[in-house]
Amino acid sequence: MSDIVPPEVRPKPAVPAKPPNVGAPSPSSPFPPQGLGVGGGGISAPPPSAIPVPIGSHGGSHSVGHGIGHSVSHAGSHAAPHSGGHGHGGSHSSSGGSTLLGYIGIDTIIEQMRKKTMKTGFDFNIMVVGHSGLGKSTLVNTLFKSQVSRRSAGWARDEKIPKTVEIKAVSHVIEEGGVKMKLTVVDTPGFGDQINNDNCWEPISKYINEQYEKFLKEEVNITRKKRIPDTRVHCCLYFISPTGHSLRQLDTEFMKRLSHSVNIIPVIAKADTLTIEERQEFKQRVRKELEMSGIEFYPQKEFDDDMEDKSDNDKIREAMPFAVVGSDKEYQVNGKRVLGRKTAWGIVEVENPNHCEFAQLRDFLIRSHLQDLKEVTHNIHYETYRAKRLNENGGLHPISSADTQESNL
Amino acid sequence: GSSTLMYKSHDQDKEYVGFATLPNQVHRKSVKKGFDFTLMVAGESGLGKSTLVNSLFLTDLYKDRKLLNAEERITQTVEITKHTVDIEEKGVKLKLTIVDTPGFGDAVNNTECWKSVADYIDQQFEQYFRDESGLNRKNIQDNRVHCCLYFISPFGHGLRPLDVEFMKALHEKVNIVPVLAKADTLTPGEVKKKKIKIREEIEQYGIKIYQFPDCDSDEDEDFKQQDHELKESIPFAVIGSNTVVEAKGKRVRGRLYPWGIVEVENPAHCDFVKLRNMLVRTHMQDLKDVTRETHYENYRAQCIQSMTRMVVKERNRKYAHAEGREK
Repeated sequence: MSDIVPPEVRPKPAVPAKPPNVGAPSPSSPFPPQGLGVGGGGISAPPPSAIPVPIGSHGGSHSVGHGIGHSVSHAGSHAAPHSGGHGHGGSHSSSGGSTLLGYIGIDTIIEQMRKKTMKTGFDFNIMVVGHSGLGKSTLVNTLFKSQVSRRSAGWARDEKIPKTVEIKAVSHVIEEGGVKMKLTVVDTPGFGDQINNDNCWEPISKYINEQYEKFLKEEVNITRKKRIPDTRVHCCLYFISPTGHSLRQLDTEFMKRLSHSVNIIPVIAKADTLTIEERQEFKQRVRKELEMSGIEFYPQKEFDDDMEDKSDNDKIREAMPFAVVGSDKEYQVNGKRVLGRKTAWGIVEVENPNHCEFAQLRDFLIRSHLQDLKEVTHNIHYETYRAKRLNENGGLHPISSADTQESNL
Repeated sequence: GSSTLMYKSHDQDKEYVGFATLPNQVHRKSVKKGFDFTLMVAGESGLGKSTLVNSLFLTDLYKDRKLLNAEERITQTVEITKHTVDIEEKGVKLKLTIVDTPGFGDAVNNTECWKSVADYIDQQFEQYFRDESGLNRKNIQDNRVHCCLYFISPFGHGLRPLDVEFMKALHEKVNIVPVLAKADTLTPGEVKKKKIKIREEIEQYGIKIYQFPDCDSDEDEDFKQQDHELKESIPFAVIGSNTVVEAKGKRVRGRLYPWGIVEVENPAHCDFVKLRNMLVRTHMQDLKDVTRETHYENYRAQCIQSMTRMVVKERNRKYAHAEGREK
């Protein structure tokens, strides 16, 4: 399933043959426009901030792509549609190819896709879960270098702890290098804060499934929107309290239950509590517990496409959970202005890899695996949900809204 | 006080009785007998309680401790553990008992997890009450809890529901001294804000923490200033350490980070020294006195009242029964 199906191929005279900063194009995506690899393989690639990451959308040739996409995923092979974040796969040499006589210009498709996606922009939905006070809002603001969390949307910092878990989503459009991203941050205040936290994960689970349901309903419609709004949670950052001992019971309960319906990325919050030694020991213990409890956090081993993926992801898995520190304040250190926290004994620099692993998390989350997160959500988690729904009650009911036509299943 | 008496004695030698030496006598006897002190530490696991205790008393009480993982802790209820250590300094002996509460606040459902703690405190009161009322009172063991250090997480936005419930359940049984744990997580500004917030919430919820006695009006200004600072420092922002690191050419107890060294005993870094001084050097006796005079007496009064009530009830029941039979 690795054919690029461009709508049209026209030799483009004035366009340069090789667009800058492109990792090898990765053609295997279940739906056009094809997913473009962001960065060449893992964290070490230079951040190609100018390269757009297309939405998991259904633009253009709708029915064709759709059919292809679904049959691939249903065949159970997760291998094919997964190349998003890793620059690998059929790499066409961009200089025209030695086997072709003369230059056709097929490679300019990349430039076309790029232009198109920059116009449309894309969206990304990230959920943050953890006790109050673990720095969730600050971290998200630091990650996206903007005030995007609920905290800045007029919410008073000293609000009382809600009695049940609430779900609060805030969206912002941020732009970088001509690329627009609609970022939605879903916060979960009240999680783990009560004396009795039984089932406090249920509202979260419900929310995630509701987004899948919304998407599914749109998908089975006869007259579908050109671009289905994607509110599905692509990534769930789970904040582990830096006790230095091990995971809490609530942590394992939550992650066990949700790791099969959403991509969970555990992070160790407020890591400036731990010395480097303590951090390493804590990480070891946490990883062992995650393993013992059978919790598959993202990037999941079973979804590694090929050896290159596997080796990149192995390195990341070895380093997780990342121990992070967030800050929205800047200080002067050695003549540079850095984001940090100023204490009486020194300044903790957020982006200094010797101080904490924030930079690693950011590169992993945003610069290399952003598209992959979306693809795994769409191709695996969503498909699992969809299959379950199809098997219930013998199939999906026709849409009850204005359209009274039957579904096309 | 005794100073004026001493002054007078120089003039009236014949009238000098000599009981001015009483404090010295008491002192000598106590030193021979030794002191005891029972300190309880409570709070969620991972807040540095054991490390702080080791730092305060320069011991290694928790050397062979095994940390449980999340799976193992599922079936654990709140335990009460006791460690006793004898410390001697300049000829003065202290028998220190540390009461720990492993498992507190660690479960998913922590409803009433403070119950075993409250029960333990009551049990010590009850045992003392029995001993006190008994015949042989020579060697009464005093296991009453003199002070409870309650550890508040630095990661919250002030007090959590569990903190409030715990302190309210125990504030009339034991002297509660709240501490802000792992304070090296916070910048100086954050520490200040949190302390104010926590003090406000303590008042708002009607929690009665241990009150430092007001100083006498004839104390000197320095002492008054110190006393004022002490009161303003609640909750004490503490850091503990089991390791010695090298800072500016000296060896200090501290924590080594890539961005700097936190010195436990540096008053600019945390309130450890204030807490230690308060606990050991200035207020240890007062903590014991308040325990004895207030908390224990409350318990004793309640005990006697309920015993009397039971006796009366039993008596009435017997009368009613007897009357019933007569008819």
